Amino acid sequence: MNADRRMRLWRMVIEQAQGRPFAVEHVCVAAISATGVDSAAVSLMLRATPRETIYASDHVASELEELALTLGEGPGVDGFAGSPTLVGDLTASHCLARWPVYAPAAASAGIRAVFALPLQVGAIRLGVLDLYRAGPGDLDREQLADALVLADTACALLLDTVQRDPPRWDGRWPERAGPHHPEVHQATGMITVQLGVTAAVALIRLRAYAYAHDRRLRDVAGDVVARRLRFDAGDGGEDRSGS
Amino acid sequence: MAEIQLADVFVEMADTLVDDFDVIDFLHVLAERCVQLLGVSAAGLLLTDQQDTLQVVAASTERTRLLELFQLQTDQGPCVDCFRTGRPVSVADLPSAGRWPRFTAAAAEVGFAAVHALPMRLRSDIIGALNLFDTKAGALDEDKLRIGQALADVATIGLLQQRAIRRRDTLTEQLQTALNSRVLIEQAKGVLAERLHLDVDKAFAVLRSDARNHNRRLSELAQAIVDGSLHLPPATASSGSG
Repeated sequence: MNADRRMRLWRMVIEQAQGRPFAVEHVCVAAISATGVDSAAVSLMLRATPRETIYASDHVASELEELALTLGEGPGVDGFAGSPTLVGDLTASHCLARWPVYAPAAASAGIRAVFALPLQVGAIRLGVLDLYRAGPGDLDREQLADALVLADTACALLLDTVQRDPPRWDGRWPERAGPHHPEVHQATGMITVQLGVTAAVALIRLRAYAYAHDRRLRDVAGDVVARRLRFDAGDGGEDRSGS
Repeated sequence: MAEIQLADVFVEMADTLVDDFDVIDFLHVLAERCVQLLGVSAAGLLLTDQQDTLQVVAASTERTRLLELFQLQTDQGPCVDCFRTGRPVSVADLPSAGRWPRFTAAAAEVGFAAVHALPMRLRSDIIGALNLFDTKAGALDEDKLRIGQALADVATIGLLQQRAIRRRDTLTEQLQTALNSRVLIEQAKGVLAERLHLDVDKAFAVLRSDARNHNRRLSELAQAIVDGSLHLPPATASSGSG
């Protein structure tokens, strides 16, 4: 059932890409359509800069990302901190108390609802997917499920575009990024030590290896955990078989 | 099973809930207590990821084979049926039940004959399930089912305790945070296994005993270990237990 949802949403992303390499903007457009919001943006948390918006679907989204950056508050800022922040009505009193400057400013920019979904895999925090709607109201169960799947898709896309050419549709479904078989996350942790890299880079390497060898992520991860496969620094992260 | 033991467990859980606790640690202890109180071989807690799939967040033992068995029930198995219907599912003898062929085969491989699943409910929402495995075939009696359901309810309360849950958005925050903490702990287990030359299955015990010894939350410790801002010395590994 989850596979059906992922496939339906992935088809929407493919449609948006129209044969071009996949990018977060295609995920954002799919998210707007699937969740009934008006605009969407993705901001990343990079080492050099505290927050950088890499895509905003329209002027309002871009303005609100800028607002969150300037003020250092808002659902998107809390989403960065690692927990989904879903706000059906920014003018509710508890929202005005929580974001005293952001909430009225966003409302006067014409936005009543903000849904901020962290792009994260355990310790790996890449950024946040922000969805904006002019009208108030919560996401319903289906919209929420779609938003969570699309946040995961954006996450996978970001991880996979670092090391290899931006992926195009080649008939293979991308592996999900977040909750996965435990061995995928265990292998990520092991590779951080083997290569002396961050968890994000370790997961990028693991995914790239699985893709290049046309194997399932969890099978490659199983080999790492069983110590049949090691990632070694110094040769571009290629493997050699362990004993 | 002695009554005093049951009372002790509820006192222990209540004590945890009034404190600043780590949700994964809390659910892990709860899973351990399920095994002790209900006389089963293993227990696991699975939560919905709100994308139609259950994810394992805590188990009585951290054997990877067992975690995989819990996780296998993403599309079939007693736990999924329990989650979908909101009703307990009790299978006294898996092979003769003749349902869920893939799951039954995997359970047999790890040596389990009986399996039970109890729903974790929050009003009209089913947010997960408590999954119990036994190496011996046989049903759970009425009393044990009631205690099991009470423990599943305590798990739900623990998960949602940090804030008053009035809306689904807050529920989402708690569920997604718990699921992400679980991922974080798997990553930290991997770091420790590699750094200390340990079996991954043993790494959780090291992590947990260090968290307890230094009075740190399990997920904060795991984050520091994965970030590389904290290294556990190898000496910790040998003293690790439970």
